[in-house]
Amino acid sequence: MKLNERSLAFYATCDSPADNAGFLYKRGERHTAYHRRWFVLKGNMLFYFEERESREPVGVIVLEGCNVELCDSAEEFAFAIRFSGTKSRTYVLAAESQAAMESWVKSLSRASFDYMRLVVRELEKQLEEVRWGPTGGCGGCQESPGSWKTKPSGPQQSPEQLLALPAVLPKENGCAVWNNVPGEDRPPNTSGCSRYDGEGNPRPPPLPPRRRASSSEAGSATGATAESPSTFCQLHERYGREVARLRQDWLERQRGPRP
Amino acid sequence: VKKRLVKLVVNFLFYFRTDEAEPIGALLLEHCRITKEEENVFSISFVEEPERKYCFECDSEEQCQEWIEALKRASYEFLRRSLIFYRNEIQKMTGKDPLEQYGISEEARFQLGTRKQ
Repeated sequence: MKLNERSLAFYATCDSPADNAGFLYKRGERHTAYHRRWFVLKGNMLFYFEERESREPVGVIVLEGCNVELCDSAEEFAFAIRFSGTKSRTYVLAAESQAAMESWVKSLSRASFDYMRLVVRELEKQLEEVRWGPTGGCGGCQESPGSWKTKPSGPQQSPEQLLALPAVLPKENGCAVWNNVPGEDRPPNTSGCSRYDGEGNPRPPPLPPRRRASSSEAGSATGATAESPSTFCQLHERYGREVARLRQDWLERQRGPRP
Repeated sequence: VKKRLVKLVVNFLFYFRTDEAEPIGALLLEHCRITKEEENVFSISFVEEPERKYCFECDSEEQCQEWIEALKRASYEFLRRSLIFYRNEIQKMTGKDPLEQYGISEEARFQLGTRKQ
């Protein structure tokens, strides 16, 4: 079966961080001799190289539909990657220490795309619940937890990131951009309501506390009302800063570093 | 132009001759770019060899868009970014790390920013 090997090799050797890397002994297919290889785990692919400095992997194991288990072997710290199906082989590997073995078994058993997808779906659901409430209504829109109340700590409350995730798809779908992940280097944001509608146009900011008809945050609403002469100025200031910052971020992204 | 049966499975695009059970080939969909070409056509190209385009002609524009959307989200790295994003959002809004309940909050693969090699 043809494979875009060059792309595989690129994925293996490009500078995106590996999920695990180290020397492991790999038992040969036909003979039971173990060979020491440099292993690199990225995503659901376990690459192995003849040597750490090798420019290309000699092989790859795709970690889908497999079980990772400890195994009985004369070799110490051995574990196996077992695939089901009659024609599938089992890969027997051995680490150089107990700690390394445990670390590999853990990272390999969670390496599959399927597993990742499960976790993402679960978090997606949780985020929806946190934002809109379990009933799915837009009750959250009236109150943006945190960004409204005058917090003693006073850090800037930056607006919600774009709602759909990630609404702005990077041009390369697999490009390692974890240094540019939305939200990473932005100030903490506790807004419960998206500031943007589907088209990316900013929604008008939530109404000031004293005008809200159904606020359950009565305490904070009164708190804000009590300070009302300065509240509007503060709001105005804060939104101004947010807008300036957003604009800055947007400009940077336009120019942004792209390999 | 050859007619192929194409299947997207995890981060691989398998392609078959229409009457066969075994794929003739597969494309790993990491570090690739999905581009709309002319009508009904999209292409896949890879970062390390951008001039080489794998072109696919669909039966309709709608099908073409469906495939483009699906393929853009097909990489493991896309999934990882999504996870990190959701985790971060939930943490910001609730103050709690949603991965703690699964006992995976320390896993290297879920960390934001630079990770140890």
